[in-house]
Amino acid sequence: MTGIVTTDPIVSRAPPPRHALALASAIGAIACGALLAATIQSSLMMTLVTQAIITAILATGVGFLIRQNGVVSFGHAAFYGIACYTIALALKLGVMRVEFAILLALALPTALAFLLGLVIIRIPGVAFSMLTLAVGQAFYEFAMKARHVTGGEDGFSVSLPPAILGIPTAWFQNPHSMFVVSWSVLVLIIFGLALIAASPFGRLTVAIRENEERARFIGYRTTLPRVLVLTLSAFVTAIAGVLFTLYNTFVSPDVLHWTLSGSALIMAIIGGPRLIWGPALGAIIFFFTKDIAGDVTEHWQGIIGVILIVVMLVIPSGLGGTLAALWQRRFGHG
Amino acid sequence: MLVQILNGLVYGGLLYIVSVGLVLIFGLRRIVNFAHGSLFMLGAYVGFSVAAMGGFWGALLAAAIVLALVGALLDIAILQPLQREDPIVTVLVTFGLLLILEDFAQFVWGKDFLKSPVPTMFSGSVLIFGESFPVYRLVVIAVAALVALGLSVWLRLSKIGLYVRASSADPLTTAMQGVNTDRVSVIVVALGAALAGISGTISAPLLALSPSMGSYILIESFIVVVVGGLGSFAGAFIAAIVIGQVHNLGLVYVPWAATMIPFLLMVGVLIWRPTGIAGSHV
Repeated sequence: MTGIVTTDPIVSRAPPPRHALALASAIGAIACGALLAATIQSSLMMTLVTQAIITAILATGVGFLIRQNGVVSFGHAAFYGIACYTIALALKLGVMRVEFAILLALALPTALAFLLGLVIIRIPGVAFSMLTLAVGQAFYEFAMKARHVTGGEDGFSVSLPPAILGIPTAWFQNPHSMFVVSWSVLVLIIFGLALIAASPFGRLTVAIRENEERARFIGYRTTLPRVLVLTLSAFVTAIAGVLFTLYNTFVSPDVLHWTLSGSALIMAIIGGPRLIWGPALGAIIFFFTKDIAGDVTEHWQGIIGVILIVVMLVIPSGLGGTLAALWQRRFGHG
Repeated sequence: MLVQILNGLVYGGLLYIVSVGLVLIFGLRRIVNFAHGSLFMLGAYVGFSVAAMGGFWGALLAAAIVLALVGALLDIAILQPLQREDPIVTVLVTFGLLLILEDFAQFVWGKDFLKSPVPTMFSGSVLIFGESFPVYRLVVIAVAALVALGLSVWLRLSKIGLYVRASSADPLTTAMQGVNTDRVSVIVVALGAALAGISGTISAPLLALSPSMGSYILIESFIVVVVGGLGSFAGAFIAAIVIGQVHNLGLVYVPWAATMIPFLLMVGVLIWRPTGIAGSHV
């Protein structure tokens, strides 16, 4: 039996070389990011790239849910926006230090995703997409209506203290330094998600994605792993919300609107959700397309719609998937 | 109080006409059209443009015909070729279509809100038990009731109606009995789109027209369809009427929470019955 090889204690104790390679490339990617920030002088360019990277983290969360669960969420802006509003409101009311506010901003959407997941994760396929759209929009409506707390449609600016964890807050608002921060966070998230996807838990969730009934037949409980994938994906999304709030120092209901969820989803699809880094690639492509198309025409929304349809029909594995396939054909199995 | 219930009926009726198009398409094809709200929006704009020359009935007819054609095109060009794919592919492609149609409406009619006048023949109000109520809103209720009635009769008596009902109960057995869904689906999708267009036209004088009005009604009709049970006509009818009432009563009595009530209702129903009020499958 081939199982003997994998259960061999010597093999399982030694760190798998793939992980070492992944760690090395993660460190390399962070270094490249720092180098990039040092070379690009244009502040305008850097602002665009930094925004793209923060949104790439959001798209990574959405994509991870598709990759491990096979369900498509139209409501991730809720987790993102709740993280934004948690920091903003905690500081506005002056109830806690900014460090605790950040922790709470990560914990609240994660806990919400877990509880919500227990209700909605059993609902399969397209109905799940419809539900996430409706649930996500409920938070938007709430932020619009609860004017006395959230400032309604106008939103409000976030008053950050001069330093966060000893780091000057100005660093988070400067596009160059914030790029290095968000890029490093993105790389670490992708690295962490890759480890999780390769773990027994990650493989179980893929098995459930492929055939939930069979996974149940061989004795696994399937609901909890799926809820945990949603929770993890919401956690990643909340990190993006925290970075956005530190960078922009302003929140408005836009961070909860379903168009943000929809954009993140489009990024994930364009980049290819079967790869953990695909959605991030998609986010960068999305932002540059929007920027270039925005200069030429007002119809970038229609253009994005056309791109989405073309990608869905022509290259369902996304641009990332196509690139990975080309790479493998050129250099063999790496 | 009676006026409030009637207002709830107006909204519930509109919601039902939009939602029933989703139910028709889901029943036959097991897919959800994310561009359905955009068809509603297009119906409102087409009606708005035609009403200036052709009057109310002309607008209604034009919206129904134009949207039926759009629906037929949608089925032939997108839904049929994607039938063998995972339903989620159709969701994403129709989502792309939503973005394109919104952009199109913005291009043709502009970004700003447009206001459609109440047709002159239905202007003014009547007294109902001593309270005044706009005639036009009564017309909307009547149209919604006619559509609901006509559709039920059609589903009950026509051959296509039989196929749709059979397919929404059990698509596999229906296909084994020799029903070719492709042949009926053009008519069914065209009908669903025409209904969205009609409800867009009749709701135009009650709402402000904007390219994004479609996504609002899309989300509301998703709530109706999910609460009612995907693929269930009776469920969608009950859910639309109930949501119309709670939405409207909420606006009157708890305005700050009104928009949240349908969502809370939906979450409550789903905890109680994950497949919706009348749904046996999802």
